[in-house]
Amino acid sequence: MLKKASIIVAMSLFTFTAQAVDVPISGTVQSRCVITTDTPGTYGNPNAYTLTTAAADGGVQPIVRYDVTLADAYYAQITTPTSFATSPSLSDTVTWTGSTSVSSVSDATNMAGYEAAKTTFGQTTQFDLTATGSTWFTSTSVATYGGNKAFPGGNYSATVEAVCVAK
Amino acid sequence: MLKRLLLGALVGFLPSYCYSDNIAPYYGTTGNAAQSGLSWSMPNVLPAPPGLDINGVFYRYTPKKNTEDDMKVHVQNERANGTGYVFRDTEDWSGHPGGIEVRKVIGIADIPRAAWGDGSIEVEGTGTVEDATVIYSYKVDPCYDPQFSPSCPGYKTPVPVLPEVKVELYDATQDEYVNLSSEEKVSIEENEERLSEKEEEEKEAAEEAKRKYRLQKLMSATDTAALFAENQRIKQMNDAMNIAVGNQYLTATIPGGQYKETTKLVDAKLPDSRAGLRNGLAQQILHEKMISQQYK
Repeated sequence: MLKKASIIVAMSLFTFTAQAVDVPISGTVQSRCVITTDTPGTYGNPNAYTLTTAAADGGVQPIVRYDVTLADAYYAQITTPTSFATSPSLSDTVTWTGSTSVSSVSDATNMAGYEAAKTTFGQTTQFDLTATGSTWFTSTSVATYGGNKAFPGGNYSATVEAVCVAK
Repeated sequence: MLKRLLLGALVGFLPSYCYSDNIAPYYGTTGNAAQSGLSWSMPNVLPAPPGLDINGVFYRYTPKKNTEDDMKVHVQNERANGTGYVFRDTEDWSGHPGGIEVRKVIGIADIPRAAWGDGSIEVEGTGTVEDATVIYSYKVDPCYDPQFSPSCPGYKTPVPVLPEVKVELYDATQDEYVNLSSEEKVSIEENEERLSEKEEEEKEAAEEAKRKYRLQKLMSATDTAALFAENQRIKQMNDAMNIAVGNQYLTATIPGGQYKETTKLVDAKLPDSRAGLRNGLAQQILHEKMISQQYK
């Protein structure tokens, strides 16, 4: 009787030592910086060789909104176009200019200084998002065909790139 | 037992379920309160239904200012009773450039419309505000008035109100379209005077009757007392006299024997009185005269 019991115990121990379990760990990180297109832009064509988003020239300025729920943790980097995403075949160079500025804020007391504190490098403008809330950024984009030649007829599109960069 | 409990719980929750299903609050937003200026009256902004609570404010505006200027902008609503503000949100634009729009959504914990006074955008410092928009979001509870629907808690079956009928008696004398002659008017006036006099007389007669009645009652009471006293006095006197008379009867002694007539008539014949005869004759003559006068 004692022998039998010993075997059973040994077998049990053997079983325990052979078992291995992988326990999964999962998690979700909610973004604290959400970028939303508020208004898509449109190019106006005030003359044959210019495409512009300026309202005065028949264009629509694109507006992008940043919603931040964690203060002083992100930069907003917005880059205006430097090339067409789609266009007819172009035989000459296109000169690109653009800018981005703060158009609206949800907390003027803490966000109205974003515009003054922005930095620009190339076509990219960076804003320091020091406060929680929503900020609307408006971009302008102007494309001028080389040598003041007329743009070929067709559809043109370009993209503004908005990025939220963690500090 | 468990089944009974579950059934009881189900029945208990049933009314609230039905209520929320039928008469649920609804939500809405106002138009731009700042459309006509930087101050506004809430009755002109909010819709009419009672039971309206404001649960949020959205506003946007663009300040126009120089960066170096100090400027604060208050978006606010006074309390309806005039003590402070029921809602006030301030943005400090001091040291910031103008031209940047502010957009804000502010949640409010269901404050009844009755608490909301006039609204305004107030600028403190140097600068102005342009393109202002202020929109209120609200919730309306239709059952604020329980009589809104029979499904509302506290609903009472209405009792129809009977219209009060005012009957005006027509008075021809007051009718400007009835043409009465001067004589008819005088006659009416005289009639009215007579009626009023008659009423006065009737009143006086009634008063007089009351006075007499009261006097009679008073005198009756007085007489009764006096009569009683007199009766008592008479009774006492009678008693005293009876005692005295009784005493006399007891002491008097009637002698016995025969009592004869002592008075004697001297004349044998009594003639008629001449004076009486003359008088009777004169009466007869006068009577006959009176009788004969009726035939003249």
